[in-house]
Amino acid sequence: MALIELDHIVKTYDLGLSKVPALRDIHFNIERGEFVAIVGQSGSGKSTLMNIIGCLDVPTSGHYQLSGRDVSTLSDDELADVRNLEIGFVFQSFQLLPRASALENVELPLIYRGIGKKERRERAVEALKLVTLEDRMEHRPAELSGGQRQRVAIARALVTQPSLLLADEPTGNLDSRTGEEIVGLFLELHKKGNTIILVTHEPKLAARCPRAVRIVDGLVIADGPGRQVAMANAEALGAEALATFLAADKSQGARP
Amino acid sequence: MSEAMPQAAGFRVRASGQRRWLGKVRRILLELRDSIVQAAVSLVSHKLRAALTISGIAIGIMAVMIIFMVQAGIQASMVKALNTLGPNTLFVHKWKWGVNGNDWWKYKNRPQVSTLDWKALQQNTTLPVAIAAMVNTPAVVSMGAREVKNVDVRGTVDGYLDATGWQIRRGRFITALDQELGSDACIIGADIEDAFFKGQDPLGQQIRIGASLRCSIVGIFGRKGTAFGNPQDLRVIIPLATFMRTFGMKRGLVVAVVAPEGKVRETEDEVTAVMRNARHLSPDQDDNFSVNRQDKLLEGFNQTMMATNITGILVGLITAVVAGIGIMNILLVSVKERTREIGIRRALGARRTTILMQFLCEAIMVAIVGGFVGVVMGSGAAALIDMISPVAAAVDPRVVIGGLVGSALLGAGFGLWPAMTAAFLQPIEALRYE
Repeated sequence: MALIELDHIVKTYDLGLSKVPALRDIHFNIERGEFVAIVGQSGSGKSTLMNIIGCLDVPTSGHYQLSGRDVSTLSDDELADVRNLEIGFVFQSFQLLPRASALENVELPLIYRGIGKKERRERAVEALKLVTLEDRMEHRPAELSGGQRQRVAIARALVTQPSLLLADEPTGNLDSRTGEEIVGLFLELHKKGNTIILVTHEPKLAARCPRAVRIVDGLVIADGPGRQVAMANAEALGAEALATFLAADKSQGARP
Repeated sequence: MSEAMPQAAGFRVRASGQRRWLGKVRRILLELRDSIVQAAVSLVSHKLRAALTISGIAIGIMAVMIIFMVQAGIQASMVKALNTLGPNTLFVHKWKWGVNGNDWWKYKNRPQVSTLDWKALQQNTTLPVAIAAMVNTPAVVSMGAREVKNVDVRGTVDGYLDATGWQIRRGRFITALDQELGSDACIIGADIEDAFFKGQDPLGQQIRIGASLRCSIVGIFGRKGTAFGNPQDLRVIIPLATFMRTFGMKRGLVVAVVAPEGKVRETEDEVTAVMRNARHLSPDQDDNFSVNRQDKLLEGFNQTMMATNITGILVGLITAVVAGIGIMNILLVSVKERTREIGIRRALGARRTTILMQFLCEAIMVAIVGGFVGVVMGSGAAALIDMISPVAAAVDPRVVIGGLVGSALLGAGFGLWPAMTAAFLQPIEALRYE
């Protein structure tokens, strides 16, 4: 049984006057232990898909099974519990509590699991060690660099030992070298057996993942090894660029 | 064997159900603790904003507390004073006690109770245990160059002690002979003693009442304290005849009539009959005097108290609403500011109720801190009132607890709506909020 089973997922946003289809028919599985990139340009529907996979939102139709449990019909409280137990989020903008220390930030999800102070602390320290931040535990987010903040966020995502690590553009707010560091960390976590989904618009990043799923206009148009999908994507982008270039050239040529 | 199996399984299910229940309680307690810490951090990190809201609540609570404490003080001294009058004592007076407003003219035009009425009562009644006529006026009392203003100078007769329960500490009281002769004997209260005779023996000394009346001190009252908010010890008692001669014959009297235990009704009837007879009233005429009892006074007093009570409650409600709006405001700002935090918490597994609890905690904390400051300020104000005014404004522990509980409820009540808006935010929207 796959960890994630997406069964003809459709999500439509109702904007009153018009209905906007964000996901039209998403249908694929992710196995336990996979490292999958979901690639797509902004507006492709990849964020919507991430929200649904992350149980932050429910599909309009279709079924989503996480660890064999259909989560597309759960109540708000049940979804909160699933998020706490099954999913570790890593966001582009880190999303740390500004007034809490790194340690307190990492402890936070354990509070919602009813874990006592002592065990909470131990586990949070362990998670911070995993991202090599044991010497920055008492610092607040404002006192940390971008890369360090993202590592705190990753520690927070890992501390609950979730079935799934869900990262949304985790390198988007970082310079390329720090971004590289974070990708390295993800690859390492993958080697240790974590299931990771990485949502990104960068084909370069997707190329480094064992598997990539490309989404265009709410549909999966490519699913395969990361490098291959990224190449196809680059080709598509290249063709597009060429077409634009030619069009521009033509209009110039038409000038008397 | 086959019976034992499901039983065991059933037990296991129950045990795990219990464990799950305990886990829930544990989680709620942990979340509650976190909420309280977060609320405290939020208040401390927005000191000015919190202080403004807190002072709003504090002032409200203080205002309400002062009203209720002063009221309780007045009530307490009233009851104490009434007890000094004695439950069996009737007071024959032109005025009906506890009446105010429309009937004023009716009573105003009645004849005063006179010495003739008093004598008629003394001669023609059989039931009363004691009868005493009395009249009083504020006057200046002096001795040599020293003078005391606003002394309660009272003219009365020998039955006074029996009728009122006052006691002579030293010396004697007015006798029937003093009254007959209009003698210059006087009895002084403890405050007068303190004012003129520090360490001296007042007995036999002379004091001057008003401009011309010289009196010899024959007795001293024991200390009584205050009643109706007035000091009772600043007084001088002289024979009724002497009083009338000095301050005028037309003054109205009050005749105190003490009924024997359990015969208040009968005594009241007898007094009424004797008075009607003395005033030659025909059967179709209304009484032109009143026979007052202290419970009537209490009734009138209670009516007045009810009015101030309602005022207190209204003021309380208004301040509660004003303070509540303050709480609502600070909380709405806090929710707006922490929208992303709400999103983060929701993404990490916080339920709606968790978020609700977090913001309710903040509201209740602001309110309780405000309530506490208000109670402290109110108690200080009560001490001040107690010190500078005759009203004994006591800090009732019930008022303190009521103030704190009330403010907590206020916080919960007015915090509910902002907390609900926080709890019902969509996690995705909240996370995206800039």
